Amino acid sequence: MMITSRKVLMLEAKNFVLGRTVLTGTAFLLIFAAYGFFYGNHLIGQHQKTIHKIPQVQKEHLQEIVEHGSKATVGTTAYYPFFYTSNPPAPWARFAIGQRDVNPYTLKVKMLAIEGQLYDSELNNPLTLLVGNLDTSFIFIFLFPLLIIALLYNVISDEVESGVWKFVRTTTGSIGQTIAGKLLIRYTVVILITLAIFALSVIALQLPLTGPTFQLMLILLPYVLFWLLVGTLVVGMGKSSAFNATTLVCVWIFLAILFPGIANIAVNIAVPVPEAAETALRQREGYHKKWDLPKGPTMEKFYAVYPQYRKYPIAKDKYSPGWYYAMQFSGDLESAHSAVKLFEKLHQRQLFSETIGVFNPVITAQQALNKIANTDLASQVRYLESVRTHHRQIREYFYPFIFENVPTSNIDWAGYPAYKPVGYVAEPLASSVASIAVWNILLAACALFLFKINFIQSKDLQNA
Amino acid sequence: MHFKLIRTIARQEWNSVFRSKTTFVLFFVLLAVSLLAVYTGWQYAGKFNLQQAAASSEVHKQWMSQPNRHPHRVAHYGYLVFREKSPLSFFDFGLDSYVGNSVFLEAHRQNTLNMSEAGFSNGMLRFGELSMAMVLQLLVPLFIIFIGFQTVSGLKENGVLKILLCQRASYMDVLVGKTAGLTAVTWSLFLPLLILGLAAGITLVPGSAAADMAIRIVLIVFSYAVYFLIITLIVVTVSAMSSSAKNALILLVLIWMLFFVVMPKSAQTLGSSLFEAPGKIEFERAIEADVSEAGDSHNPDDPHFANLKARTLKKHGVDSIQALPLNYGALVMQEGENITSAIFNRHFDRLISTYKSQNAVSTAFGFADPFLAIRNISMNLAGTDFDSFTAFQKQTEQFRFEKTKRLNNIHLTQVSFKNNATQRVSAKNFREMPDFIFQPVPIGQNLIASSASLIALLFWAAGGFIVLNIVSSKLKYQ
Repeated sequence: MMITSRKVLMLEAKNFVLGRTVLTGTAFLLIFAAYGFFYGNHLIGQHQKTIHKIPQVQKEHLQEIVEHGSKATVGTTAYYPFFYTSNPPAPWARFAIGQRDVNPYTLKVKMLAIEGQLYDSELNNPLTLLVGNLDTSFIFIFLFPLLIIALLYNVISDEVESGVWKFVRTTTGSIGQTIAGKLLIRYTVVILITLAIFALSVIALQLPLTGPTFQLMLILLPYVLFWLLVGTLVVGMGKSSAFNATTLVCVWIFLAILFPGIANIAVNIAVPVPEAAETALRQREGYHKKWDLPKGPTMEKFYAVYPQYRKYPIAKDKYSPGWYYAMQFSGDLESAHSAVKLFEKLHQRQLFSETIGVFNPVITAQQALNKIANTDLASQVRYLESVRTHHRQIREYFYPFIFENVPTSNIDWAGYPAYKPVGYVAEPLASSVASIAVWNILLAACALFLFKINFIQSKDLQNA
Repeated sequence: MHFKLIRTIARQEWNSVFRSKTTFVLFFVLLAVSLLAVYTGWQYAGKFNLQQAAASSEVHKQWMSQPNRHPHRVAHYGYLVFREKSPLSFFDFGLDSYVGNSVFLEAHRQNTLNMSEAGFSNGMLRFGELSMAMVLQLLVPLFIIFIGFQTVSGLKENGVLKILLCQRASYMDVLVGKTAGLTAVTWSLFLPLLILGLAAGITLVPGSAAADMAIRIVLIVFSYAVYFLIITLIVVTVSAMSSSAKNALILLVLIWMLFFVVMPKSAQTLGSSLFEAPGKIEFERAIEADVSEAGDSHNPDDPHFANLKARTLKKHGVDSIQALPLNYGALVMQEGENITSAIFNRHFDRLISTYKSQNAVSTAFGFADPFLAIRNISMNLAGTDFDSFTAFQKQTEQFRFEKTKRLNNIHLTQVSFKNNATQRVSAKNFREMPDFIFQPVPIGQNLIASSASLIALLFWAAGGFIVLNIVSSKLKYQ
């Protein structure tokens, strides 16, 4: 008995694997995966190429400025140069581009007030952004469920509809084992395809064999299992192939398109960010008003943070570079509050979407992949913070020369502290994995229950 | 062709679709989603515009209450312009969320449009935004697939088709009748919803030109009607070619995936790899290189500016810039502005045309994917398209240039060269300047932009009937 059932299983497996659906489905996925690899490599490669050019650009730029300012003092020349920063991609960004295409990955700042400079955007074709990336994460998050649907929707109903099922029921000893066998084959095939495409992506995208690569896997496997279980649950209802296909496609559209669309509106309504405009306005006014005010109070604000410059005299009735940079600094001081609030709001948005994600593994998986790849909003905020830090270092490097009225050619213009990119930040993923796992347990329990009442206990199927 | 027969088949199709419970369930789901989309879209656009208008009026107030200042300082004080959403943007968000919402305009510098909604989003936006246009473009086709996949294949399975064909009906009559019936269902369910949604949204938006809006609405409704017809034709064709209803359904769902997920992304990424656009650093470096070649106002030995100086001195018959009746500093500044602005515009136009070439790939794909065609038309007519976004950028740059020019002119005539920096001019001068008013892209230009897509839609509709005719003549599909 055992031997025959194993034989039947092997035969079924062979038939299934060599069937049209598996082969065409896998072929399609492979084509898209190949394109996804190319696209991820291409886009992130471009980012890296641009970032590699920066040191040279920076060097030439500073040289030009210093040459021009050779007759002036540092105070005058320091107005002109830009200092470049960059947000180098983590290796996993090739896998999940996330928000990297939307957000700027290079920003240049002058010694002037920072708030007006932090939100400069990258040059982009908005239609390309709207359409979105066809990267590897998209293939797993969006297209894999469709393959799973195609493989599962007719797992039993096909045989019911062709009349074979009645025969199967009467000849096999355990109907539960037969169903389990059929599902097992499909689960195995899907998981093998997942592993294979993932292995290909590791090679094609040159992902290092370190923690984050395995973390990607740690998200993808439960995610794929989630869709397998969704498929199993629907199949367990014991309806027709057409019903199963329609239902599964509707579930997919709901989870992958409608739900995120509604959730996005919810986020925008729950956490609006008017602070963005407010910050720009305050900074501009905070700085420009100072021109028409007495110099004393402006300088006092500056001295409160930088008391060491109090010893340098500032002319009361005429322009001086020290006063100019103190004015710029006070523009930032006055917009600091709304800038902090803006960043807080962005953080809230992140938290809120994570909460919403608990109800939708598709969102959870997408956010988790972006998190692992450091291509999410939180990573961008970290980058902006690092630009702010660099801006402070630059100011603090040049302040002494400005207050001392040093001639431009007397100082080392490249001697400022080098910009330190953020580096890879590993964030906890336990909650994401747990939330998908809870879904999986619930689905598995429901599916088991449905199979019990619809196939194993019932003697005759209504569709048979 | 038996028109009477076609009408009978169409009526029968209509009745059978409305007899099914699935039709009502699906329709009410779509209805609920559309209403939610229209309401939130309208509310969001309204709130957003209020926010932008408030920020705008604050900037205006600050500008008007400036004290007496040196004009060049005012040129750097600059101006902030906030982009408002178009009146129909609640219907089709288009590119809105991916385009910056404000721009800082100052002398010497062309700043980017900053602070897009996508920049403040953590990626959920990338699954697609829920708008009424999205429901009509993506979900209504799926509705048509679900109510129509068995329209012909079902007849084949239960043998009714053979009986029909044994009577007077030709296969083409059956197919046309089915198409007419399904199209009538879709039109009567969704077109009134579309018209009501648009009309309700418009009446709630104050100050939109009525005639312009009416034409846009009519064209939108017409385009979507053709689009629904095309999808119905595809559904009927596939259903007629399939041996079983199940096969028809699977094939149609696959086509849906291809049209809505795979092709749009492939087309656009193909476009951007075919026509590579420069990154920001590259773009700026190229401009800087051109500027230093054309003449650098900061360089005292620059030949272009040495020439300007000689010409100016000669014209006024004096031998030093101190003796000129105007402020030579301002003259140099304006000359520098002319040069950089012209160079910037040249590079910017080139960038825009690169983007346009990229987008043209998607437009061309409209002949292979009707979704891409309707997406373009819908965005164009809603004023949330690429042209509107480009127009905003061009107009703000024009505004920046003119404002700077006015300020330089004040500088030129009202501030003397001697003790330049310590002088101030009356704030009255600044108050007299016009405010920025965005001129929306006229409907004619929108139509030109969407003409290829419109042709693609008509091509699809005509092609659909031809294919239907071919299918009907093949015996194996009966």
